[in-house]
Amino acid sequence: MTGALLVAGLGAIAIGGALCVLRRGLSIGLAVQTVGAAGVAVAGFWTLGSSASLGDGFSSSFAPRLGVDGLSGLFLGILGLIAVPALAFSVRYLRPGPNGRAVGALTALFVLALALVLCGRDPLTFLVGWESMTLIPAVVILVSRGADRRARRTVFNYLALTHLGGAGTWVAILLLAHAGAIGGQTTIASGSGLQIAIALSALAGMGTKAGVMPLHVWLPRAHPIAPAPVSALMSGVMIKVALYGLVRVLLDWDGVLPVWFGVLVLAVGAFSALGGVVYALFEHDLKRLLAMHSIENIGIIVLGIGASIVLRARGADMWAAFALAAALLHCVNHAVFKALLFLGAGAFERAVGSLEIDRLGGLLRRMPWSGGAFLVGAAAIAGLPPLNGFASEWLTLQALLHVPRYGNVGDGVAGALALAALAATAALAVFCFVKVVGLVLLGAPRTPAAAAAEEQPLPMRAALVFLALACVALGVAPGVLFGPLVGLAPWPSAHATQLGLHLPGTGSLPTVGIALVLVAVTIGLALLRGNRRAAPAPNWASGQLVEPALNWTSAGFTKPLRLVLELVLRPQREISSRTVGGVLQQVAYSGNVPHLIEDRLYRPAERMAFRAAVHARRLQTGSVGTYVVYLIALVLVLLVAVRLGVIG
Amino acid sequence: MSAASAVSTAVQVLGGIVLAPLLPGLVQHWKARLQGRRGPTPLQPYRELRRLWGKSMVDPEGSGPIYRLAPVVVAAALAGAVLVVPVAQSAPTLGLGHDALLLLGLLALARFAIASASWDVSNGFSLMGASRDLTLSVFVEATFILALAVAALTSGTTDLRGVVAGTAGIGVWKSPALALGAVSFAFVVIAETGRQPVDNPDTHLELTMIHEGPLLEYAGRDLAYLQWAAAARHWLVLVLAAEVFLPHPHGVWLQLAVLPVALVPLCAALAIVETILAKMRILLVPRLLAVGAAAALLGIAAWIAGAA
Repeated sequence: MTGALLVAGLGAIAIGGALCVLRRGLSIGLAVQTVGAAGVAVAGFWTLGSSASLGDGFSSSFAPRLGVDGLSGLFLGILGLIAVPALAFSVRYLRPGPNGRAVGALTALFVLALALVLCGRDPLTFLVGWESMTLIPAVVILVSRGADRRARRTVFNYLALTHLGGAGTWVAILLLAHAGAIGGQTTIASGSGLQIAIALSALAGMGTKAGVMPLHVWLPRAHPIAPAPVSALMSGVMIKVALYGLVRVLLDWDGVLPVWFGVLVLAVGAFSALGGVVYALFEHDLKRLLAMHSIENIGIIVLGIGASIVLRARGADMWAAFALAAALLHCVNHAVFKALLFLGAGAFERAVGSLEIDRLGGLLRRMPWSGGAFLVGAAAIAGLPPLNGFASEWLTLQALLHVPRYGNVGDGVAGALALAALAATAALAVFCFVKVVGLVLLGAPRTPAAAAAEEQPLPMRAALVFLALACVALGVAPGVLFGPLVGLAPWPSAHATQLGLHLPGTGSLPTVGIALVLVAVTIGLALLRGNRRAAPAPNWASGQLVEPALNWTSAGFTKPLRLVLELVLRPQREISSRTVGGVLQQVAYSGNVPHLIEDRLYRPAERMAFRAAVHARRLQTGSVGTYVVYLIALVLVLLVAVRLGVIG
Repeated sequence: MSAASAVSTAVQVLGGIVLAPLLPGLVQHWKARLQGRRGPTPLQPYRELRRLWGKSMVDPEGSGPIYRLAPVVVAAALAGAVLVVPVAQSAPTLGLGHDALLLLGLLALARFAIASASWDVSNGFSLMGASRDLTLSVFVEATFILALAVAALTSGTTDLRGVVAGTAGIGVWKSPALALGAVSFAFVVIAETGRQPVDNPDTHLELTMIHEGPLLEYAGRDLAYLQWAAAARHWLVLVLAAEVFLPHPHGVWLQLAVLPVALVPLCAALAIVETILAKMRILLVPRLLAVGAAAALLGIAAWIAGAA
């Protein structure tokens, strides 16, 4: 029954994709895809709830096998949940020209590729799905951007980086298949060299695809230039599917990993969380800012995974399962609010024509539905109660707090540092989204284009409001998902399904009560304040006239933090003034916060790669004689190796 | 519900809502005395709230719904926080539970609301205060959670009732963990209450404002809510200091009896600190808080070493 629904849903997406190719088929095709995605969402969450497996089980052999279990069901559910609003949004967002039709068809292909990774039960299907999920967004960007040279270069960067890093995925999966560990035919010995090799290559390969720092450089470039619905799918779902792979390898197939590896994962997570949010703060383009925030949230999820590895290695199986469930719940939550924010950015781009954050303003008044939904998403990603971001961040904090409880001094202090890093990340996220909300939604419009912004058509608004309601629902009743998520751990674990979050050793989070009390007290205080007879007054600027030049900018608002972190971030700034006869005529200011990882790590690596290429070219002389010498040398080396017993 | 937990609930709710303004009043009163002035009575905050309640509110040009909603949301978040922080080891849940980390979430909600309101009114001084407040909050929050982690590890739970019970008595002080946590929490108290050397609550110069900055345009009942919220912040961190990070006895009745005995000297201590120390350069405050965070980390290491 569930399997039939899943197949029907995926079939509908395929048919919808084919319809998009037809001349007048774009709207119908997208509508059919939306219905299909809804079917996938229902089937996925149903599989999660019923904890039954469908189809084949995992196997290390290379014969194609397809199937679904609880963990796949969860991610299929996320895929459907995000694809429905993204596709509904596309109905009016994509223009019915050849480009729009191609993007519509490719979106279907993208969704199917993501589903293939989730349903693949053998190494080959998994890897085929993995590669297509990397390639299809590249095609979408190339198609939608046409002849844009910079976009082409970005796509090249994206493909090069994800393939270089992605090699780790191949190594990890093929080593696991070779050892027969996929599907649990054999278990990999804890602490063995093979186990560590698999874990490290999976962390590098799948971490690159997930956008973990310092392997993230492709993400803030590739996500923003895709069309908004595809950005939403990339940031909301694709990088989560990479984490699906990571969870499978690190927590299931690769056996019980040692404590130090868990601490390494914690360090990577904390670095991504802090780095992502800090660079997001100094970003001026809304979509790039959101992409940097994806890195932050991936970091939070990786913190949960790391806590789970450490706690499992320490034998605290119950809290290891809670930590994993916290990470998975944050996957769902981040998918929902990040899709909401990317689609909202798409709506603002349509209305204003720019996403330069200092050129928007006042959109809450001009676009009450889109703006209101965006505000809910911003509060959710900032981790404010009673919305969904708070629930999963609370769970992750609790999980990290249990690392010192079960550990010794080394990993305990590492856990405490990760805890402090996550708290600082949450505060930075509040900072960043106050800035976004303020500059985009509040105050007076900063440009004539923003002042003339119009609310977007119904399907786009409906998609945004649907996701905002999902933020509220997941914030009020996170326990409904959390219970089944605890059961997904590969070791025996179970937790009762409730509305709120009630864990032993914590003060519990009765989310329904929190939401009710906060709303009731807010309404009560508003009533108590009574009829708000307010006197209009000019803005206080120490007596001088308020003029647009006094408007605050993104750079101004974040300046205190930039100064505090000066030693770490090395911001650059330049002020030049022109004076005529001792009278100041003009002041020019420019400043930016360089991305240190790119400048200090990737640029030198790039230069070295080019230099190495120059040397390597000397081997290619072009004369046949040289190549014959190479071949003879190779044969000789192989013969010597066989003689010495190195191979064979 | 037993008599003890009924009384402790009454103290928690009424104390948090009604007595909270007395705490900053006491600090101001003693501070004036220490500076050789007679100063206002400790009841001055109540007089100001009454005066503000009768005045009309002000809507600056261009301000929108978020500006009007923010004071209510701030007050509601702080009222929620008052319901979360118990004054003794036994209390009913009051709908919100008693989790320590929820307190951080509610304070973040209040910060988000008031900082967004600064953008809505687009007042440069409000935004200056908000951006400084948000910058410092990064370091405050990290230190706060580490201090709470020390208490949670010592008592084995993050339920604040359990934390109050688990840190009671003399036994827990044999390990240096809780003492180091208390040192770290002292920095949090000063930062969260917005007092010198972090912030100057008496300043009338817009350029030096942190917590006061975003309040600049507000008047009337809006301002009354915001000033009450600032007082409630004093109540929350000082109650936590008294019932968790200072030695306190077992048993609800004794804990309730000890509360005023601890709160009054804590206010006096704040007054003394504020008299002795000048306001720091804002860019140096993170270093101050880093000292607090380091103390808490040492406390956690000490706890693990002691538990092993």
